[in-house]
Amino acid sequence: MSKMAASSGRALKSFVQGCCGCSSVILPSIARNVILQKPAVTVLARLVCTSSTLQRKNIAAAGPEKYTQEFIKKQIEEFNIGKRHLANMMGEDPETFTQEGIDRAIAYLFPSGLFEKRARPVMKHPDEIFPKQRAVQWGEDGRPFHFLFYTGKQSYYSLMHCLRFIQLLERILALPYCSIEEEYIQRFRRALEVQSKKQKIEPLQYDENEVAFSIGEGRRKTATATATVRDNGSGNITVNGVDYLLYFPVLQDREQLMFPFQFLDRLGKHDMECKVTGGGRSAQAGAIRLATARALLSFITENEVESMRQAGLLTPDPRVKERQKPGQEGARRKFTWNKR
Amino acid sequence: MALTRLNRIVQLSHTVSLTRPLHGSGCGLQLGAATQTEAPMESPRAVFRTSESEPASHGEQHIGQFYTIPPSQVKTIFPHGLPYRFQQQIKTFNEACLMVRKPALELIGYLKKADPTHPSVRYVLYGERGTGKSLSLCQALHHCSLQDWLILHVPDAHLWVKNCKELMASSYHRARFDQPIEASVWLKNFRVTNERFLKQIKTSQKYVWSKREFTDEGRPLGEIVDQGVTRVKNASDAVGVVLKELKAQARPGSYRLVVGVDGVNALWGRTTLRKEDRSLIDPSELTLVHNLRKMMKNDWCGGAVIATVTQTGSVFTPSSAYLPQELLGKEGFDFLDPFLPVLVPAYSEKEFESSYQYYRDRRWIQHHTGHTEEGKKELLFLSNRNPAALERLCAFL
Repeated sequence: MSKMAASSGRALKSFVQGCCGCSSVILPSIARNVILQKPAVTVLARLVCTSSTLQRKNIAAAGPEKYTQEFIKKQIEEFNIGKRHLANMMGEDPETFTQEGIDRAIAYLFPSGLFEKRARPVMKHPDEIFPKQRAVQWGEDGRPFHFLFYTGKQSYYSLMHCLRFIQLLERILALPYCSIEEEYIQRFRRALEVQSKKQKIEPLQYDENEVAFSIGEGRRKTATATATVRDNGSGNITVNGVDYLLYFPVLQDREQLMFPFQFLDRLGKHDMECKVTGGGRSAQAGAIRLATARALLSFITENEVESMRQAGLLTPDPRVKERQKPGQEGARRKFTWNKR
Repeated sequence: MALTRLNRIVQLSHTVSLTRPLHGSGCGLQLGAATQTEAPMESPRAVFRTSESEPASHGEQHIGQFYTIPPSQVKTIFPHGLPYRFQQQIKTFNEACLMVRKPALELIGYLKKADPTHPSVRYVLYGERGTGKSLSLCQALHHCSLQDWLILHVPDAHLWVKNCKELMASSYHRARFDQPIEASVWLKNFRVTNERFLKQIKTSQKYVWSKREFTDEGRPLGEIVDQGVTRVKNASDAVGVVLKELKAQARPGSYRLVVGVDGVNALWGRTTLRKEDRSLIDPSELTLVHNLRKMMKNDWCGGAVIATVTQTGSVFTPSSAYLPQELLGKEGFDFLDPFLPVLVPAYSEKEFESSYQYYRDRRWIQHHTGHTEEGKKELLFLSNRNPAALERLCAFL
């Protein structure tokens, strides 16, 4: 008994010095119902965890504490090491040390006079202590992973939609004698046209030197542009007879010109001449960009056409100047409000 | 140990440490054997740099390569001559590197072959905005100074016809106007460049500045320059005297004189300066301009006149104009006729590649896409091989 006490005393000291804070030991927080802003600092544990009930109340206030995967893993390692130390201390075999043994050991080492059993020191596996957190539902750019995230009940709706409902319908269509219900089911199916087929692709034309060229037109906000893109070129671009570096001194406009070529990876391969009228600096650049993209359609494959369409190069920008309304100074701006 | 430390310095910092050799291929090979990260950079570095620092010895094979001007020469030859952005680049990269290009080579070739007994030939560098006319002029002047010529460099003639704070009526000539500040600044820089000559050349007549001040005949020219610097009121007249003396004494036997003027179209254009009665001043009514115009005539021998016509900085000219005829106007064109025009084009493929490699070597291009092939094509497109545009693009990369 004395030997036990002496050894436990030594063990306690070594526990204090050496054990590097077995942080899965929960020492009772002072008031369970009070929302703790500062964690209660104890001698042994480096990190103090509030109990799970408090956490649920804390969500509204300070946001739940996020436990990352690495943190949980670390806690599990420390728990295992602590378990072995404890087994050592108690003189039992570390390999066959069960949770009951841990409980007995802790009750022996940290005798507590508290009546509430849940308030006494406890050493459990981290999975039982830290609440299971839901993994973050969205990626870095803020876009949620699941396509039904915004319905609120994504698992329910995905179940209903993907797993059962549509499967059932498609199964029905696959069965023999499906023609009875086929009409009814086809009502729920909408045919999606392949968007890229809507683009009219002009065939390539050849001029007198056997060089292929193609013409495209584009419009943006009162500016109209016609672009002639020739093959076998070296990247010379002329706008209204002037070099594009002189015509567009601003970098942003030249970047707009560059976009279709860069997207298709054909930067130094084509020559271009364009005529543009109307609009302002930025509108003319946008119009030329659209015209160039349309002209380049003749040179590329269908997949590239589709990718261009998805990149937005072939969509005319519908934004125009909004009309001024009577009673207002501009389209949205109201006159200065006078009280009298 | 020292070499590994050097390696780390080279890796970490933009600015070159003093222990790193400036001239590329020769000394670089010694480092290349020892350190590992330097070795893969050796071959591209040797391509776009050359260790010839004498413009006189540059030839066709050096086109597209960078040569370094030692800092001591930069301070003496170009106290005020280099364009502002280039000066900033020198400060950042800690070295003054110029690219050898065809117009400058051509010009230097003509200068070498020119006969000193004939009247001085006038060369006019022209080209679109940002193609490198000023730097070609500086390169030619560097060559001339190494050949021990007297350099008369007006870095920007446009500065004399616009934004002048103090304008005084000239004491020498009633109808003309003086610009004391610009004249004194120019005299100071002139003194820095040509210290040696100022002691040798003597005045040929007596000049009276005011009731008590005069300069005797036979005194060194440096005294006139000092007089102009100290007595700012007489600075413009001092400039006129200096120019007159230099022109009169530039004979084939004595020194050779090169006049380099950047923005010569300012001398025949319009000014933004007004008289007290709010009427515009003609350039010929400014003392400095009047004297400089006299220099531009080819009635003296033993030297050369190199000029650039530029639209940047000029007033009342459209931005698409770059030909000498458009920028000089009829009056200026007739005055300078006959002259030898030299077109300065944008970078060729090889020159662009060389410039890009230089920026990469100096770690000026920091963006990771800038190091790829696509990045290079993008830069090529966006700058359209214009040197100034490329420099401005890389500035924020």
